[in-house]
Amino acid sequence: MADKLVVSEDEAYDLLAHLISSAEICTFEPYHYGTFRLLDAASRLMESMLRHESNGNREWLQAFKKEVDEKKVWMMWDRDGYFRFLREAGGKVGQALKERQARSMATAHSRNDR
Amino acid sequence: MTATLEQTSSAAETVLQTMRTRRVVRSFTDEPVSEAHLRMILESARWALSAGNRYISKFLVVQDPNRIRLVKAVSPGMLAKPTALIVILTDLHKAAEQQVQIGRDTATEVDIGTAAQNMSVMAHALGLGSCPATSFSRSGVAATLDLPPTLIPEFILQLGHPAPQPRVMRSGAVTKLPVESLTYWEQVGRPMPRQAGG
Repeated sequence: MADKLVVSEDEAYDLLAHLISSAEICTFEPYHYGTFRLLDAASRLMESMLRHESNGNREWLQAFKKEVDEKKVWMMWDRDGYFRFLREAGGKVGQALKERQARSMATAHSRNDR
Repeated sequence: MTATLEQTSSAAETVLQTMRTRRVVRSFTDEPVSEAHLRMILESARWALSAGNRYISKFLVVQDPNRIRLVKAVSPGMLAKPTALIVILTDLHKAAEQQVQIGRDTATEVDIGTAAQNMSVMAHALGLGSCPATSFSRSGVAATLDLPPTLIPEFILQLGHPAPQPRVMRSGAVTKLPVESLTYWEQVGRPMPRQAGG
């Protein structure tokens, strides 16, 4: 598995502030806003990851971030579409993780074969 | 001199058209907002409805990009990258002076809303974009802006020059509701009368 750092210290602090502030405002906002804050945090994380990514996943990450940014705002005007996306999003990440793991394992095998 | 019916209709139509065409803007260019424009926007807030003429709100203008960045970090509702902020603050000293019961007197919240609305309409009239934010950490914003404990951040108006960016909409998306669906006439349950000639 690649263990390269993909978030700088500044970016980590920004994300920390976002998550802590989101936790505070989740105490008074409608419950589905909480899901939006998490999606937004995921988008911010992906933005940092894209700046540093070097493991062959850039294309997927770029496309998924674009999709998250486009669909996270549906929370405001198309709640059915928004919740449908939430139900699908985990599967997309799961699939990407599986493929990433397969790539890492193939790389490790080819190194061992040398 | 009394305005003619035509003059008042034209003025009203201009105001309504400005209100109608105002949209929340979440994408701004890097161009700074001029001080002259900020003054006009603040002037519009000064003329907003204010319960009992108490004026317990204060306005804090922020243009320093580093300070905006810090405020944004603790404000998950700030999705845009504005070049200026106007933060509406409740002045607890002034509230105590005026015997306003914060948290119980809803007029204080109404006053924040009227000022915010005037400012966003004025920003639009000036060709600027604005985006409201209420989803922020009160303590976080107070810390990043060095606010004394007697000034409570209530509302952030993000301002900037709008960047062209089409909003992605889906069919079936909620649009502005017709006034008839929001209004009862004389009695709850009774709809608005049909417009003459409509």
